Amino acid sequence: MARAGGITNAVNVGIAVQADWENREFISHISLNVRRLFDFLVQFEATTKSKLAALNEKLDTLERRLELLEVQVGTASANPSLFNT
Amino acid sequence: MGTMTASSFPISREASNYDEVSMQQSLMFSDSLKDLKNLRAQLYSAAEYFELSFTNDDQKQIVVETLKDYAVKALVNTVDHLGSVTYKVNDLLDEKVDEVSGTELRVSCIEQRLRTCLQYIDHEGRSQQSLVINTPKFHKRYILPVGETMRGSDGTKLKYQGSFLDDGDDWHQFRNAVRATIKETPPPVSKGRSPAPSVRPQKSATFSFTSTMPKKELDSDKRTASPHRFPLLRSGSVTNRSVTPNSSRPTTPNTSRPTTPNLSLAGRRYPSEPRKSASMRLPAERDNGKDVEQYPSKSKRLLKALLSRRKSKKDETLYTYLDEY
Repeated sequence: MARAGGITNAVNVGIAVQADWENREFISHISLNVRRLFDFLVQFEATTKSKLAALNEKLDTLERRLELLEVQVGTASANPSLFNT
Repeated sequence: MGTMTASSFPISREASNYDEVSMQQSLMFSDSLKDLKNLRAQLYSAAEYFELSFTNDDQKQIVVETLKDYAVKALVNTVDHLGSVTYKVNDLLDEKVDEVSGTELRVSCIEQRLRTCLQYIDHEGRSQQSLVINTPKFHKRYILPVGETMRGSDGTKLKYQGSFLDDGDDWHQFRNAVRATIKETPPPVSKGRSPAPSVRPQKSATFSFTSTMPKKELDSDKRTASPHRFPLLRSGSVTNRSVTPNSSRPTTPNTSRPTTPNLSLAGRRYPSEPRKSASMRLPAERDNGKDVEQYPSKSKRLLKALLSRRKSKKDETLYTYLDEY
């Protein structure tokens, strides 16, 4: 009888250990996916930052060119004798 | 008016459609961002709930299984949300980059137009200024440069000495001057100057210069003979030649200085020259052997001085002919 109870306890311990390992495996999968998601977010942040930096640079260049154009057009329109030829 | 309304109506409709689409997209994007923000709170509340239920409830296995399902669903939902949000952000960024590229293209077009306008203005101003300036016009001169060689009649290259005979008139004057010089010198019968006896009868006072010279050489001499040799013919002295240096004479003839030498001017310079001609000499003078010897020697020196300037074979043959006189 005691032997049977010992076997049952051993089986229960084995089942518990198996369940614990399964839970650990599940947690590791979840943590791995969360890390992948985190890596994706970090990569997305870097890509978006670089894109935004390039866009900012383009906008700065465009702003300077527009200012230059504005000055040139203002100079030309301020001197109407150039257009009277 | 009606056409304007008809033409402006689709544009406004397109604009309203574009605004509606963009508004919907922005609303969806903001909803996704709100869901992501709420997901954090939901995850924290779910974790607290499962913790409490796991400690209080007896059905721990069921709670664990429910927690597992909830975690998987929450992770998948988060991935979906993040995927949609990142896609929308990427789309928005690409759209803005395209807009900026289009704006750069427009600015480049405007810059090119402005540059074209500036070039046109510069061109117009340059043309206006160029009409004011009177550019000098020069006549063409075909001058053989000094040191250039030209082909002679016998195939030898003749060295150009820097002086040339431009016109046929100059050449005729030169030829007449040589003839007159030959005629005024009597044949050296009395002098034993060692010409060959067979050659002597052929050379007489009526020596034709053109007969001994081929036409090609005449043509080449037309280009190479200098008009400044005529004063040398009349002067008969080497010292007078240095009066008109050839190096100082410009190769391009001036209008103020005629290329054909004036015989009258030379006659004014040397008024005693006609007295030396054979036709005007007295018979007594002719008999005078000393004078007879002096005149051929003078003519010889004169022709030597004349012909030494021309280093060509033709002139050498002419020199040998004239040397016999």
